[in-house]
Amino acid sequence: MATRFTKSMARNIFMGGSLFFFLLFLALTFDTNQKLPKRDNSQNLTASVIHGKKLWETNNCIGCHTLLGEGAYFAPELGNVYKRRGPDFIKAWIKGQPTGIPGRRQMPQFNFTDKELDDLVDFLKYTSEINTNNWPPNIEG
Amino acid sequence: MNTNAALMNEDGVLPAEDLPGDFAIWIFILAEMLVFGVMFIVYAFARAHQLEVFNASQLTLNRGLGTLNTIILITSSYFVVRSVAAIKVNDARQSARWLLGAMALGAMFIVVKLWEFNEKFSAGITLETNDFYMYYLTLTSFHLMHVLMGMIILGCIVFKLRNGDYTAAEHFGVETGASFWHMVDLLWIILFPLVYIIH
Amino acid sequence: MQYQSQAVAKPYFIAAIALFLGQIIFGLIMGMQYVVGDFLFPAIPFNVARMVHTNLLIVWLLFGFMGATYYLIPEESETELFSPKLAIITFWVFLAAGAATVLGYLLVPYASLAKLTGNDLLATMGREFLEQPLPTKVGIVLVVLSFIFNVIMTMLKGRKTAISLVLVLGLVGLAVFFLFSFYNPHNLVKDKYYWWWVVHLWVEGVWELILGAILAFVLIKVTGVDREVVEKWLYVIITMTLITGIIGTGHHYYWIGAPAYWQVWGSVFSALEPIPFFMLTIFAFNMVNKRRREHPNQAAVLWALGTGVMSFLGAGVWGFMHTLAPVNYYTHGTQLTAAHGHMAFYGAYAMVVLTIISYAMPILRGRAANSNKAQVVEMWSFWLMTVAMVFITLFLTAAGVLQTWLQRISTTPMSFMATQDSVAIFYWMREVAGVVFLIGLITYITSFFIKGETKAS
Repeated sequence: MATRFTKSMARNIFMGGSLFFFLLFLALTFDTNQKLPKRDNSQNLTASVIHGKKLWETNNCIGCHTLLGEGAYFAPELGNVYKRRGPDFIKAWIKGQPTGIPGRRQMPQFNFTDKELDDLVDFLKYTSEINTNNWPPNIEG
Repeated sequence: MNTNAALMNEDGVLPAEDLPGDFAIWIFILAEMLVFGVMFIVYAFARAHQLEVFNASQLTLNRGLGTLNTIILITSSYFVVRSVAAIKVNDARQSARWLLGAMALGAMFIVVKLWEFNEKFSAGITLETNDFYMYYLTLTSFHLMHVLMGMIILGCIVFKLRNGDYTAAEHFGVETGASFWHMVDLLWIILFPLVYIIH
Repeated sequence: MQYQSQAVAKPYFIAAIALFLGQIIFGLIMGMQYVVGDFLFPAIPFNVARMVHTNLLIVWLLFGFMGATYYLIPEESETELFSPKLAIITFWVFLAAGAATVLGYLLVPYASLAKLTGNDLLATMGREFLEQPLPTKVGIVLVVLSFIFNVIMTMLKGRKTAISLVLVLGLVGLAVFFLFSFYNPHNLVKDKYYWWWVVHLWVEGVWELILGAILAFVLIKVTGVDREVVEKWLYVIITMTLITGIIGTGHHYYWIGAPAYWQVWGSVFSALEPIPFFMLTIFAFNMVNKRRREHPNQAAVLWALGTGVMSFLGAGVWGFMHTLAPVNYYTHGTQLTAAHGHMAFYGAYAMVVLTIISYAMPILRGRAANSNKAQVVEMWSFWLMTVAMVFITLFLTAAGVLQTWLQRISTTPMSFMATQDSVAIFYWMREVAGVVFLIGLITYITSFFIKGETKAS
């Protein structure tokens, strides 16, 4: 007797198999959400950090930089920039842009107030304290 | 590819004379075996890296319950074999009964497994305790979900058997579900010695 | 053309190609900025160019998917479209929204755009690929909903085939997972976690259903192989896609703050993600080998086979290269990701849209296939673009490997910018390959205007 291969069985296996693995994904997501508070540094989500995140977003920083390795690959990783450079350097750097050096990559001037610069730095500090399983491999990001 | 194409019948399937059940389930089984296979390899690598931790933690597992579950699953597979044999002689009622028996054993497996998990959880062990427990919990709970899925599949077949949808001539659905159940059994037979016993 | 209403696909295809051209031009601008940093600064800063580049990609692919669906569904359902008028209205709404968004990116500073468009009401902007202002996002939801409504109503009154079912499942999934773009928690880890539900579950999940359905449709048409055979293999392939791809999302969760067990789940499942692409390739070649007729549109056959091969290389092989957690620890967020992204998007999604356009456009213009002369030009464009993309990928891979070595593995790691300077030669070569790609695209567009002897459809 030849092996049978029917469309309806293929469809049932598709439906059942996909549903099974999607439910498994949901279960893992549920478990992840339970575990996150120990890892995600959310206890330090102050108003200032939240505002900093919004500034990060509304100025499209991710369009050049990476944050925890995600984003564009045009400018340095900023997930650990707080540890690499410290708060004062970061603020001075943002204020000093663009460098205007011919031929070099340029970062726009965003005209942040001092308060906004503090918020951004707080956001980057918060980000640098997330437990990322020791990524990046070294301080250069 | 050309030779394959030449060998294929009009369904686009390579001739394999006596694969029980639908060809599609065999592709699915192959995929599942690959997933588990890769997981076993990953486990082996992790174990080689931290031999001490793995050996020490392994001793805390309840081998008695593991052995019990092995016996339960092998018996359930036997029941499934009897079910397929029954439908081949057109005895749908008997076939459904054997499957219900297999499902009951599946439920027993789950109860024993949850008991075992409960033991571990009350000892304060979680996915984060160490790498061994992470692999132990991941592999066994992933397998446990397959037992659950197998039971749902067998349940559907019982439903269809009772409906009179299967006969001696038309029993591919039963064989298809049986093939999946045997895979779940087989995976446990590999998983059990690998995680509980091999030192 | 069997059904009058299939004609609504035509404007969708034309818009897709036009936006594709825009995408490539902005790609070249960015490629230039990689080596001449102040190129076009401050008129078009890199982040703006990148937004335009990636958003145009998404929008033209969506136009392509919609056009493909409007072409395919009446023929599969054996009935006219439920409402051709609605299809045309959504076309103009979508095009206007897309154009307004891109102009907004180019003309208004992003922070002002956010303020103007109500980002303070619901902050969703400023995340990679989801940069669209709130009204655009809402617009996308409305357009996609009306589109899915139109398609499902058509299906309900006609024949329901596996191909149309899979296609609609993919489209519904696309709509559902896009809703996660409205969820932007303050908690960065959760933000990133669910951001991937849009991005990963689109491109490594439901979009592959759309891809499979479109490819299956074209293969049935150009090879004449029995529908039963094609459809059951379609099911088998997309089963593999989803069982590997859904949990495969875990390969994005290694280093963003999620628990460490994702390194195991993500590595194991995503390591198997190349399998469905491999099956797709084998399947496409097998169907063409077993063809029961010689379709006059050989260019479409070439695109279909190309989709199989290039999606396997780009999504499968280049994805596998850096998907295992121990490797990804060093390569995460380097040019290797860019290399993979380019070839995967081109090989899987750009090419499948070009496949259906290549098959359907001549029929929409009243002939079974284009003239031999036009097809030869189209095939030239296939090779120019595809080979150029292979080289773009190879150069970016070289840059990525070197970058990983200098910046991540070396015992004396170099800074990001110092590393970038060291790999500049590869960026130059990538830009040259990019120019060849543009030439290929212009050749492609030219092929639509070449006349010659054709058979009526």
